[in-house]
Amino acid sequence: MFKEILRTEWNWSRYAVVVTVVAAFALPLVAIQPTGMESQSLYDTTAIMNVMRRYSPWFGGLAMLLGLVFATTTWGADHRGHHVYALTLPVPRWQYVVMRYSAGLLLLCAPLAAMWFGCLVASAAAQIPTGLQAYPYALSLRFALATVLAFSVFFAISAGTTRTAAYVLTVLLVVGLGQVGINVFGLDRNVIGWILDSLVVWPGPLEIFTGEWMLIDV
Amino acid sequence: MDHAIQTKALRYRAGKEFEIRDLALKVPVGSVYGFLGPNGSGKTTTIRLLLGQLRPRAGSISVLGYDVPDQTTQMLAHTGYVPERPHLYPSLTVNEAMQLHAAFFKNWDWSRAEELVTQFGLRRDQRIGRLSKGETGKAMMLLALAQTPSLLILDEPTDGLDPVARRDVLSALVEYVSGGDAAVFISSHLVHELERVCDWVGVLDRGRLISELPMETFKNGLKRLRVGSAPAHLDDPPFAVLAREGDGVSAYELWLVRGWQDPMHQYLASIGADLREVIDLDLEEGFVELLRTARTA
Amino acid sequence: MFEQLDSRSPTPLYDQIAARIRVAVAAGDLTEGDALPSVRRLAGQLRVNPATVVQAYRSLETDGFVEMKQGAGTFINSVTDDRRDAERESAARHLVQHMLVEAKRLGLSRGTIVGAVKREIGEA
Repeated sequence: MFKEILRTEWNWSRYAVVVTVVAAFALPLVAIQPTGMESQSLYDTTAIMNVMRRYSPWFGGLAMLLGLVFATTTWGADHRGHHVYALTLPVPRWQYVVMRYSAGLLLLCAPLAAMWFGCLVASAAAQIPTGLQAYPYALSLRFALATVLAFSVFFAISAGTTRTAAYVLTVLLVVGLGQVGINVFGLDRNVIGWILDSLVVWPGPLEIFTGEWMLIDV
Repeated sequence: MDHAIQTKALRYRAGKEFEIRDLALKVPVGSVYGFLGPNGSGKTTTIRLLLGQLRPRAGSISVLGYDVPDQTTQMLAHTGYVPERPHLYPSLTVNEAMQLHAAFFKNWDWSRAEELVTQFGLRRDQRIGRLSKGETGKAMMLLALAQTPSLLILDEPTDGLDPVARRDVLSALVEYVSGGDAAVFISSHLVHELERVCDWVGVLDRGRLISELPMETFKNGLKRLRVGSAPAHLDDPPFAVLAREGDGVSAYELWLVRGWQDPMHQYLASIGADLREVIDLDLEEGFVELLRTARTA
Repeated sequence: MFEQLDSRSPTPLYDQIAARIRVAVAAGDLTEGDALPSVRRLAGQLRVNPATVVQAYRSLETDGFVEMKQGAGTFINSVTDDRRDAERESAARHLVQHMLVEAKRLGLSRGTIVGAVKREIGEA
């Protein structure tokens, strides 16, 4: 059964896999481009760090995008058919969901591995001055965790009916509008800021996305 | 298991219009049961209840001896389903769809599947999404039949199909039924088609089951009589007169009666009436008349 | 042979099927030892409930026209000339009965019918 689920997963995700493998491999290489050192005597530690910081958000963004894209390709066909086919298969719903999740994770390994290779190649290719170090393993591991987290969240939203997904998005919208409303009334409460903070600052679950993604660091 | 499908006092509110109430379906094992009803009467909702996709407000559902929705998974392993709207994954080819289905249904029979592919003239490398309406209907029927199910639940399986596809689908269905004691539950508003194939009829109108009879009994139950010179009032007739109207052309009347039997022509002779003709109603007319009388009651 | 089975007709479907087979036997189209299509195949071809075909074959077996052999199929029995003639006569009578029912419906008298038959035969 899982073999066939994996096969359909591949059928739906293969273009996404190819594109994201290329993107994930390329990103670390692109990030080190500006650090191409013409003159060996002119190591500019600060300049390198600035370049790394500039590309930092792209890693977080790519992780989130990967999660979203793979969640979409995993559930897209079921959504279009209103889950009718899956609901008439003789497996408990939870089992089906777990199989789909596992299949998605398995295919995600491709771009995650590509990111890892990209980091290794970039680390080897870059001329790193003393005082700085490359962290390809740390970065790609963090990338993997962030991607899995994003995939899990978007997967969970998509696993329900389109109605459930609509509810979730509505809640987000209400919170957003609520914040605007609060500000309009002059109250100085930052609801969204508070929510984001609790999610994003340790020990919040989304902390992994924030902060800096630095391939080369002190 | 006495019945392939049995519901008791089933209740579900489908929408603002009506609710399914006191539904007591009994589909005998090995029967081909036609589930008739006008559009919007609750046929599809009933099917979704039978498949465990909806939870009833009250009452019980038993399909192939399994309690639904508690034992839905076990029940589904032996149930083939063809829905009203195509439900297969469009980007898979016919072959890939078969492989997927085969992986989940232990009773899948590849030789039957191969036979049906040929019989239906489907190309295995064609994407489901690119098939014509008729081919999609055939593909869905193929998957349901190759599962070797003990029960087939079909929701308007031939609606919108061209006549050739319709014949192919019905032929394959009938051939499958001949093979063993699988039961078939077909919901349709295409009454003519079901007439030859079904041996049981259940009629749903606005959420209530207004009739459930063997096909022959249902058809023979109602007849039209062309009668002349009959008195306005009948004393104690041996049959039930549901309607009397002029035939629009002559002095004869057309009567709609229930419970007619041949020897009863003597009764008509005894009251001085001239029985010109006894007309059988086909299933469609019987169905229409049944709805009419049920609604005016 | 089985075109246009009429589910509206007062004659049950199984009867119509059996009648066509009897006519084929009477006409010599089917002879002793010929196999009738399997229940499965004929039901699928005609798109009728298989029980209907079984009923047709059983009624033919009761009348002695066919023999249903378990596992092998249904085969035409030997049909004597007498039998064939009796079958032809039965078919003719059914035809006439049908005509008389129609005639009654149209309000035609016996005399009118007989006259019409004579005229038609005279011209044939």
